[in-house]
Amino acid sequence: MSFLTPARSSIRQAFSPCLARRYAAKSSNPERIPNISTKDTSATEEKTLSSCPPGTILEGLNYLKGQPPVIALPDEEYPSWLWDLLKPKVYEDDGPGGKAEKKRLRKENQQRIKDQNFMKTQ
Amino acid sequence: MSKALKAKDQLVRILVPAGKAAPTPPVGPALGARGVKSMDFCKEFNARTAHIEPGVPTPTLITVEPDRTFSFITKTPPTTYLLKKTAGIEKGTGRPGHEVTGTISLKHAYEVAKIKAKDAHLKHLKLESIASTVIGTARSLGLQVVP
Repeated sequence: MSFLTPARSSIRQAFSPCLARRYAAKSSNPERIPNISTKDTSATEEKTLSSCPPGTILEGLNYLKGQPPVIALPDEEYPSWLWDLLKPKVYEDDGPGGKAEKKRLRKENQQRIKDQNFMKTQ
Repeated sequence: MSKALKAKDQLVRILVPAGKAAPTPPVGPALGARGVKSMDFCKEFNARTAHIEPGVPTPTLITVEPDRTFSFITKTPPTTYLLKKTAGIEKGTGRPGHEVTGTISLKHAYEVAKIKAKDAHLKHLKLESIASTVIGTARSLGLQVVP
């Protein structure tokens, strides 16, 4: 950042606000460069599902004596359901009276009760 | 925990650091009150947890029979303990959902679930279910779970 400040001040003095706007994009580059590099790697390997690269040591999980440290494996070696765990669970529609409908109705009822309770406090 | 029932076994649930039983405050009174000699328990406990790193909290369930003989089962360390060690945090938040204490990857959650799956009371569950439970526990600690 420091080597940019003299350049920044000279440009700011010499040119108009429209260029200053462009310059603002330039000045954020030093922060963006690391982001761009990770974006490139994730774009080229869009199949990387995990933020945890293989070979990362997972601390604290070797609680047995003499157990070697637990290491993260490549993404392919984990079961496929693992990557769906953070997504909201989808229930396939069984039709009227099915599991999906029951879950949906219960969720709606619970939300309605919560809203009503909240409104009573207002 | 059942109190003094004459004809039945008594159950004591206790969290003991592995390999370091016998301190008076936690273990002594809890067992002594039910007529178990704490030294016997501690020797046997330390022998059974010799393969675990010392100091790891180990939940144990002690069954004390009316004739004062006892048997106990040890379980895997608490999920919160494992998650805190993995994430490198000391304590969870007092305000889960509002404060974030750390981040954990799904791979961490998977490994924790693999450890927990060794427990007898979880044997009937799919690893997928155990992993969702672990993620829920992580959220209650204020840990953000990312893929």
